[in-house]
Amino acid sequence: MTNKQKLYQWLQETSFREVTLSVDFLVTAYIFYIYLSRMYYASAEELASTVWLSGVLLEIIIYSVVLMVLSYIVLAFVSDDELNQPMDVREKQIDLVGYKYSAMILQVGVILAIVQYGLDKQAETILFEPIPHLPLHILLVAFLTAELAHYGVQLYKGRTGEIYG
Amino acid sequence: MGKNDQEGMGISNSIRTLRFLHDEMTQKQLAEQIGVTRQTVMAIESNKYSPTLEVAFKIAEVFNLPLEEVFRYRSDK
Repeated sequence: MTNKQKLYQWLQETSFREVTLSVDFLVTAYIFYIYLSRMYYASAEELASTVWLSGVLLEIIIYSVVLMVLSYIVLAFVSDDELNQPMDVREKQIDLVGYKYSAMILQVGVILAIVQYGLDKQAETILFEPIPHLPLHILLVAFLTAELAHYGVQLYKGRTGEIYG
Repeated sequence: MGKNDQEGMGISNSIRTLRFLHDEMTQKQLAEQIGVTRQTVMAIESNKYSPTLEVAFKIAEVFNLPLEEVFRYRSDK
């Protein structure tokens, strides 16, 4: 099979749902990147400031809402009325598998945040250098990672067809 | 499912052949008639996904054949 035929077959196999999931995945990854870069380049004073942190969180929320709304508007224009069609049994199963992995990551994140909150109260940390408001950062990272896992697992399972694992 | 396929067991089907014999029916046309997405038809055809009993009966109904002529189950027994 030539590369052109492979590309054609790949495009044929790509559903609108996969495109939607890919866009959601990329938008979440971009938001994650913005958050990580803000944290990486922040000074110690900024990290300790609740005003600065609130600003970053607000920025993340605004980015999330704007990018999601824009992507859905674009997808609604290019969709072949697929956006209004309900999911079939297979797609619902894939969706549930995605939620399973997402929930596992969130659970680990919440437990780590609670443990860190307890350690903060005792002026200790699970990292080498103490970071102010660490439980909040752990929760946010867990949430974004869970969202990425939710979309990524659905894309992987939908493509490979191995949805029973 | 995947493991079963590798070992030659599990559910197989002749949907691809039957579509061809029915005026080269497309996957999309079949999907619309049985109420699933084209990707699900593709997954069923390639034995990556076992359809629900309802979908299996609907597929057999489209081709006007009994279920066992569309789907086959191979076990190790």
